[in-house]
Amino acid sequence: MMQAYFEGKREASNIGALVTILSFGFAILGLVIAYGIYFGWIPLGERANILRWSQGINTVEIIVTAASLIYAVCFARTLYGLARREQSSLRWSQWMFFVTIMIGAAILLSVAIPVGLKFSLLLGQVSDLRLLISEDVGGLAAIALSIGEALISISLFIIALVALLALLVFLIPPLEALRDRPGISMIVSPPRKFIQAILIVLGIGVIGFLVAGAAVVAEYPGQTTIRDAENHRLLAGLLFFLPGFFGYRVVRQVEEQSDELRRAVALTPGKFIRAELAKSPSAGAIIGFIAIFMGFTMATDLFLEPSSVASFLSNVATKGVIAIGVTYLMISGEFDLSVGSILGVTALSFMNFMTHGAPIFGVVGPIPAALLAILVAFVLGAINGVLLISTRIPSFIVTLGTMLAFRAITLVAIAGGRILRYSDHHTELPVIGISNIVFLALAVIGLALVAFTAYRVLPVLFRGAAQAWSIRANNGDFGTSSAIVRAFVFALILLILLAIVVWLAAVLSYHGSASGGEIVEVGYFDLFNGRVLAIGEEGDFFHMQIPRNANVRLAIVWWFIFVAIFHVVLTSTSFGNSIFATGGNEGAARAQGVNVDRVKLQNFVIVALLTGIAAIYETARNPGVDPLKGTGWELEVIAMTVIGGALLTGGYGSVVGSLLGALIFGMLQTGLVLVGIESRLFSGTIGVIIIAAVVLNTLVRGARQN
Amino acid sequence: MEYKQKNDNALVDMIDIHKYFGSVQVLRGIDFHVDRQEIVGLLGDNGAGKSTLIKVLTGYHSLTRGQIFFDDEAVRINSPHDARELGIETVHQDLALVPLMSIARNFWLGQEPTYEVGPFRFLDKKKMASESIRALADVGIHIRDSEETVGNMSGGERQSVAIGRAVYFGKKLLILDEPTSALSVGETQKVLDYTIAAKEKGMSVIFITHNIRHVYEVADRFTIIERGHKLGDFHKSEVSENEVADMIVTGQIPERLRLFDEEEGEVA
Repeated sequence: MMQAYFEGKREASNIGALVTILSFGFAILGLVIAYGIYFGWIPLGERANILRWSQGINTVEIIVTAASLIYAVCFARTLYGLARREQSSLRWSQWMFFVTIMIGAAILLSVAIPVGLKFSLLLGQVSDLRLLISEDVGGLAAIALSIGEALISISLFIIALVALLALLVFLIPPLEALRDRPGISMIVSPPRKFIQAILIVLGIGVIGFLVAGAAVVAEYPGQTTIRDAENHRLLAGLLFFLPGFFGYRVVRQVEEQSDELRRAVALTPGKFIRAELAKSPSAGAIIGFIAIFMGFTMATDLFLEPSSVASFLSNVATKGVIAIGVTYLMISGEFDLSVGSILGVTALSFMNFMTHGAPIFGVVGPIPAALLAILVAFVLGAINGVLLISTRIPSFIVTLGTMLAFRAITLVAIAGGRILRYSDHHTELPVIGISNIVFLALAVIGLALVAFTAYRVLPVLFRGAAQAWSIRANNGDFGTSSAIVRAFVFALILLILLAIVVWLAAVLSYHGSASGGEIVEVGYFDLFNGRVLAIGEEGDFFHMQIPRNANVRLAIVWWFIFVAIFHVVLTSTSFGNSIFATGGNEGAARAQGVNVDRVKLQNFVIVALLTGIAAIYETARNPGVDPLKGTGWELEVIAMTVIGGALLTGGYGSVVGSLLGALIFGMLQTGLVLVGIESRLFSGTIGVIIIAAVVLNTLVRGARQN
Repeated sequence: MEYKQKNDNALVDMIDIHKYFGSVQVLRGIDFHVDRQEIVGLLGDNGAGKSTLIKVLTGYHSLTRGQIFFDDEAVRINSPHDARELGIETVHQDLALVPLMSIARNFWLGQEPTYEVGPFRFLDKKKMASESIRALADVGIHIRDSEETVGNMSGGERQSVAIGRAVYFGKKLLILDEPTSALSVGETQKVLDYTIAAKEKGMSVIFITHNIRHVYEVADRFTIIERGHKLGDFHKSEVSENEVADMIVTGQIPERLRLFDEEEGEVA
């Protein structure tokens, strides 16, 4: 019917007109929201405490205002296209409606998630919920609860029954032989309509439960850390979701009715996103990261606080560093169970060299001790690698053995479960004076990096934008618009680079001037993994405003630097290529002249070195080593890597995936506590997440292969 | 023991090759040669020793006794790397490409083009993409996207990419190990076409198969191996397809051909 509209047929133009009106409505809505946020009557900034520069200026508010404005402008452009009956405005409006659905869904979830969570927590606290509801909340909620309970139990019972019967058919051979008989085939593969009916019943039950929950939660504000129910936002959510969904459906029908060729070329937004995700090894981790981040942000105000974010980043930074190495190793088809023990031995050596003395050098300071300890880690990793390539035993067994063997070193060296503490041997923590020249040098390096990025990126972007502008007339209906978008992207990146330059210039002038030109006393340990507040002025790390209570550790910075370096090495060097080949098809790699054994040995050493560095971080954060340090880390790190999309069988994975896996890990660790769920549920949650992430990864990969 | 090259025009000349695994004699003095720009069909029943012979040539196995001449020089091939350095490329049924990697990355694996930034060397991804598409088009293989993973390609396409790669890197000898055994009729025909294209670009090809029909179409000469011995070398003009098939099955040379073999120096 939209097609008829575009062809100018009068009788079919109703839906076209409706879509046009919808676009108009959304354009105005975007403007209203931007206006509302800017003048403060949509209170967004209260929620988003992170990234608050100083009193009154809130980055999140600015970003959302800008996004609403862009949203309004895009819808206005769509409107213009629809009015002029431009064919390509269809694709455009489809994307706009897709975004609208997402906004609506986000608003709806921001009500549903806190309600669901708080309700379930209350269920745990209150002994008789029905009594509570009938006394305090009232009849409607009680009815909704009964209906919800009944429907959920019925549908779950039917699902369980069908599943059990199907399992029996599968288990008992005589029944299996009969599977084509009508009665049995009903069980083995239930008709679609039946499944849909059950799901609808289940859905109504869940909604009933949520309605009762919303009523109860509204009755008990402020009892938990979970955000109070804001049921009035449901209306706003539906206002976005339903019209957006309608518009999306209508526009989609048009494309499917249009001719074959256009259907083949035109990707719907859903298909496009799926195809893009399928290109990344860590699709599951990306989806999981967004879902968990959004979920916690919506559930509680405590999550997006600087102190919470800093705490979860600090908690996983060291494990994240190890996960980088384990990802390399896993991509090359091997596996390391001994990282926990290597961590223990390295931490012990580091501490021992500073307290009791190293073999030749005697008692040494922190930096030589760190270097020597990393050398120890190197040796341990080399032992793993050499054992593997010389005996050809599977790495699972080799590293299982070395895990136990290396653990014996710490158990023997530190007798009787004592803790080797730095403070037992030295009265003061070691201190180093950092001259302002170091800070100046760092700032200059930063400037050079920015200059290099600008040199590589800006000319390309500028040329692209200029070209798009010069051919805008021949570039279809949206030629001018896409040229403007390109110019906009160019300007945005230029602005970001300029902002970094201004910031570095401020650092330069501060440390170059007389007032900042003193030597800063810094603890050695703080350099490895201190609170960043310990470096630089109070509350000021390189002129970044960081709240006093935030536990921002320097290891986070190191971690991100390592991720960047190792990501580039993996994706853009021939060494990275040979890692993928070694794990993907060892025979092919060997036939192409890749030295497979050397690649594996190198990867074992890389894991061990990164583990050694992680051990230094851990020890610097808390200068004491106990014999069991690092026990159980190996599995946690492997979990992070697997969530991040690395295949246990090798040949596939990414460093960024391991970063996301570690972040998911950290968010759950901190978020579950903030939400008020028992921390005992942490390992259970992680278990579910691992399986879900791997299933997602497999599904997305399958989508690409079809 | 001193060996001399027997065939003057040969690219590869393997003389008196013995290979024992412990007390098991797998190869018992085989002479095998491949001339320049020649396609040789290496035939034999399962267990005849043809893959062992090829593994000796490609450095997977060391030989117990004998001598290999390559490009008129006596060589020792101790590892696959050595074979590769000489210009010998093997395309195995499964071992040719890495399924989870893209076409471009597979194409350049082991010899990636790089550019330098200071002391660091990074992959030249643009060149990897454009050159691999161009090089494969040269031998008649047209791919849509060099970033597509090899795992999504059909068996024939994979073989083709592997052959195209060998041609591009100017290898002298291409060894195809059972290249057509898992392919459909159409794909087989394509692989055979690429084999001829490789020959026209100046390469020699060893084509190992049990399926005589595939190799009869493209090969110039057949070498038949039977329980560690060479049964004989036969030019395509001398024998019919059926005779070759009979020889593989029975291990006997037909009466009509026996005279030729004595001249070739067949071990009785």
